[in-house]
Amino acid sequence: MRTRTLSVVIAAVSFLIVTAHADDKKPKCTTPPAECERIIRQMLSGRRYLGVQLQELNPGLSVKSVVEEGPADRANLRPGDRFMAVNGKSTKDATIQDFKKILTDAKETGRLWIIVQRDGILKKIELRMEPYTKAQIDKIVAQHLAEAHAIVASAPPQP
Amino acid sequence: MLRSIRVSILLSFLIISVGLGVLAWRSYELSARLEDGVNTLAMQYAGYAADITARRIDSAVRNGIFDASEEWQQLERKTPNPDSEMLSQWLKSNEWITSAIYVPDSDPTHSIFVSEPPNRATAAAKLTREFYTSSGLVRYTYDPARLVEHVRPVLHQQPLMQRSQSDPQAQLAIVTTPSRHGEARLTDGFTYVAPLAPPLQGYSIRAFVRTAYGTSGWENARYFSIWVSVAALVLTALGAYLAMRGLKREAETMKLRGALIANVSHELRTPLSMIRLGAETLKRSSKLTEKQRAEIEDAVLREVLHLSHMVENVLDVARIQNRSTKALAFTPVRPRDLLTSLISTYESWIKSRGFEITVQIEEAVDEQLWDRDAVERAVVNLIDNAVKYSGDIKFIAIALRQVSDHVVIEVRDRGIGIASTDLSRIFDPYYRAQFSDTQTRRGAGLGLTLVQQIMVSHGGRVEVESTPGIGSTFRLLFPRESSRVAEPLPALNVLPEIGSRS
Repeated sequence: MRTRTLSVVIAAVSFLIVTAHADDKKPKCTTPPAECERIIRQMLSGRRYLGVQLQELNPGLSVKSVVEEGPADRANLRPGDRFMAVNGKSTKDATIQDFKKILTDAKETGRLWIIVQRDGILKKIELRMEPYTKAQIDKIVAQHLAEAHAIVASAPPQP
Repeated sequence: MLRSIRVSILLSFLIISVGLGVLAWRSYELSARLEDGVNTLAMQYAGYAADITARRIDSAVRNGIFDASEEWQQLERKTPNPDSEMLSQWLKSNEWITSAIYVPDSDPTHSIFVSEPPNRATAAAKLTREFYTSSGLVRYTYDPARLVEHVRPVLHQQPLMQRSQSDPQAQLAIVTTPSRHGEARLTDGFTYVAPLAPPLQGYSIRAFVRTAYGTSGWENARYFSIWVSVAALVLTALGAYLAMRGLKREAETMKLRGALIANVSHELRTPLSMIRLGAETLKRSSKLTEKQRAEIEDAVLREVLHLSHMVENVLDVARIQNRSTKALAFTPVRPRDLLTSLISTYESWIKSRGFEITVQIEEAVDEQLWDRDAVERAVVNLIDNAVKYSGDIKFIAIALRQVSDHVVIEVRDRGIGIASTDLSRIFDPYYRAQFSDTQTRRGAGLGLTLVQQIMVSHGGRVEVESTPGIGSTFRLLFPRESSRVAEPLPALNVLPEIGSRS
């Protein structure tokens, strides 16, 4: 019994030491920066996004913030809009997960028909998710390089 | 009755052999059917195991993918703003993911990206997957080979396996998808290849079920059982043949015995009636001349002698047949004296029947250890036969000689001879050669049987040479015992009369 406790204590202490040590070291990406950049660009190219941050009401969903110059912004979605229906499915009691599921279903076309309630008035908004712009991707890459590889990308990398 | 016994024995052997045949055929058929069944079962089990395992792997893959997204979302719930450290921790706990990027909804430009060292990241084709979280999107690449390794432990769960069964019934393996799915027959079993669902469509589950152990080993060889059945059939046939042969011999003996009863009763009645007739004549008629009276007395005496001779034969045969060898008393005998006294006893009788007799006796024959009475009886039987089966030339030659290791007594006649077909059977009890005139010659068919039995009990044998129409020669061959007895015992030799036998 005693030895078991002891071993548990030792394990815990060693775990703490290891994690503390790990915390000390700033996690760095060990992949070559060029490779990282390639993968990021590959992963993000063609990826559509909506550009809206949601929050869960109780029940329902509403827009928390809108990314500037994003598809949602251009389609005139505003913070505080409550989603009543998306693509024919009621989102009155939906969670964020439910909404994301609808987004996944609409991934191919990227088209969304959203009925929102703004100031008590229902409004139909039709929009299309758009791919990330080159500027956005460049920014993501630069940020990753700066964070994980400690390389400050002063200028956008050459394509 | 014999016929019915024979039929019933034949019938029973027939039934046995038919039963054996049916059994053999049934066992062959059953084993063939069993093998078919085992094969079908093995094939079905292979398909079942492969399919079930493929579905289990599929669900394990789905679970792995789902668990990874769940894990991330739990992390995200704990820490509202994920950083690269969190993402790399997630990457480490799901070892099959090679790189991941997190894009927050609030600001796509503040995405984080984590990739594992390139030495681990193989150059193999990577797959991409993504999932939405409550605050953004995670997109990751993963290595399908490593995902396969992640779900490989599922293979150890054998479908339909009892806990007590230690060795698996199907050997399961994950293989890269071959050109052909479905079942395949191998020399020692069946395989079934079932494809996996996407994203692992490049892999398949291969189940192999061995069927060889059902039919390996000599005791399981189907042809072995067939051969055993054939051997059993052959043995049965042999048994049937032997039984039938024994039965036939039995039937013959029965027939001969039946003949004896008729024969002996006839043979006994004839001298008896002769004796009765003679005795009555002597008693009633007082006017007989002296000569007539003497003739009748001679006739009665002859018949009595004949009768006693025959009864002795029958009794002796029975006695020796019952193995009471104690009936024989071996005493030292001079063959020369034996033969001389015998011939002197019978000479007048032989000559009275019109026979010419020549006797040739070697002087230097050693004394032998014989049963005197038995040997005398054998010789008398031979002489009797020679007289009985005589032809036109009435001639008897008796010889005694000594060859290298035998003492030989030979009785030769020029009688009717014995056909070669009968020659082998003349020593059988109650057998009488089928001459046209056998019935006119008196006898019980026991004389030669007795001769042979006497010779056998003396360790010797009888030899016959015979040509029908020319004559027969019987030789009694006694084993020679030269140095056994040194001292002659003349007193025992003087037993001239037949009537003095015990």
